[in-house]
Parts: sequence; C-alpha cells; structure tokens
Amino acid sequence: MYVCLCKGVTSQTVAEAVAAGASTTKKVANACGAGSDCGRCRRTVQAIIKATEAEAAGLAPHTSAKRVRRLFR
Amino acid sequence: MTDTRTGTLIIASDYRVPDPGRVWPLLQRRRAELAGIGAHHVLVYTSTWDHGRMLVTMGIRNPEPVVDLLRSRVWFDWFDAVGVTDIPGVFAGEMLEKLDVTTSSVGTPPGIVVAAMTSVSDVATVIERVHRAIDRFQAAGIRKVWLYRAFDDPCEMLILQEIDSEENARRWIDNPDDAAEWMIGAGVGPYPPLFVGKFVNMMRIEENL
Repeated sequence: MYVCLCKGVTSQTVAEAVAAGASTTKKVANACGAGSDCGRCRRTVQAIIKATEAEAAGLAPHTSAKRVRRLFR
Repeated sequence: MTDTRTGTLIIASDYRVPDPGRVWPLLQRRRAELAGIGAHHVLVYTSTWDHGRMLVTMGIRNPEPVVDLLRSRVWFDWFDAVGVTDIPGVFAGEMLEKLDVTTSSVGTPPGIVVAAMTSVSDVATVIERVHRAIDRFQAAGIRKVWLYRAFDDPCEMLILQEIDSEENARRWIDNPDDAAEWMIGAGVGPYPPLFVGKFVNMMRIEENL
C-alpha cells in the first residue's frame, strides 16, 4: 500500500522503520519521510505502528472477519 | 518490487465519506482531470454494511512511475472534494486473473461485493489454491473473483469477490474457504477491514478529453 502520497512511501517502508525502532509518527516521519509533509496519512502510519508492534510482541491481531462480526451483529 | 508494468495500472482505495451520494456526481465533474492522469475506467462501490464507506477502483494507462503518479494534485483535490481528511492507504497494482466461477445470465440481480486488501503468504500459491477450490467457491455462491497483485509489495493483493446473495456473503465472511486466505489478513495495519457492498457505477473515460 502507498501510505504517504506526498513522499511516495509504502507500508513496507513504514513497517521497516517501526521495526528499526520508530515508535511514534514523528519518529517514522524522521526515519522514512512518511507523514512529514501534509500529515494526512498519520492515522494509517499509527495503524502500522500498532500492527508491527503487536506482531513483534507475538500478539495475534484481530482478523477482519472477527471485526466485521463484532461491528455488525 | 520494481514497477515494470506494461498494461493497465489498477489503483484502489477504501475510505469513508460524509455523503456517499456526492461521490458519483463529483467524479463525473472530474472526467478531464482523470483523463489527464490516464484513467480509462473508474468503478465505484458503496458499503451496504458500513454507511459512508466507499471503494473506488481505477484503471490507468500512464507510463509514469506509480510514485510520481500518486503525487498528482488530482488525488489530494479528490479527497478534499469528497470530505476525506485522513488519506487512506492506496493499493497500486495489476490484475492477475478474473475468474468467472458461475455463468450469470442477463437479468441476474447484482451480487454482493466482498473486497479485501491484504498481505498473503505467497501470491502464486493463493492463485493455485483458488483454482483447486473453484467447485467449493461455486457452492458457496461466489460468482466472480478478481485477483490483483501490488507493485510495491510482492505479497500484497486486492481480491474482489462477487457473491450471489447477502446470506451467502455473510456465510462466506463467517466461514471462508481455506483457499480464501485473504479473508483473514484484511483489517490489520494499513489494510482496511473487509469491504462488503454493492457496485454503484462505472465511468468509462475516453482519451484526449
């Protein structure tokens, strides 16, 4: 996924920055540029930070099917 | 992954708008801008389960690198026009295959579209498993499957499935076939949750507008 359209940064690049220690949107912006221009992709960057940290901690993320069921039942 | 496309680039994005009814008229007013970036088809889907959510896919013929194309003001102006503040992740890739699982006759009511943008373990394996499971897909009410692969990530896919009824769509979401690995990974990290909705409209854009 292209996350930051201003800088052309992909989700893979953001995830790599998080894995290398960028734990906030500001640190991610410094590491790879994502969110450093208009900043409108920061919500997606935050989602990647959470998912990458959860994966590193060995926590199973909620599956989409579970989310859909939880939201619509 | 290197951007070595030779055919149509597929751009897809899933986002929430304050007023879904405004999206189609606004798109129609932007024909010239869309033609300017090489768009030749725009398809709009609206969520039936999550009011305000839209899925827009676009076929583009443009030799520019994807990164340069996505920097165009067209995208930002579009998000501004429809009232999207937080810009979502954008899928950019190519179609690998369209599978007609069942043959539908004229007059068949439109089905339910279930779309997933996600990361899979291996794209080739996913396709192989889908082919082997085609009878089970048919039994589950799947009419068509469109499989796309991202340019920027060799494991990223966009999968659109047309299902014959709301009931079968719910069943598929609750208990997808093992071959539909993509149903599990959606909604994590940059990926939106599964999109469940219907096709609204398609715009065909001629060149040289």
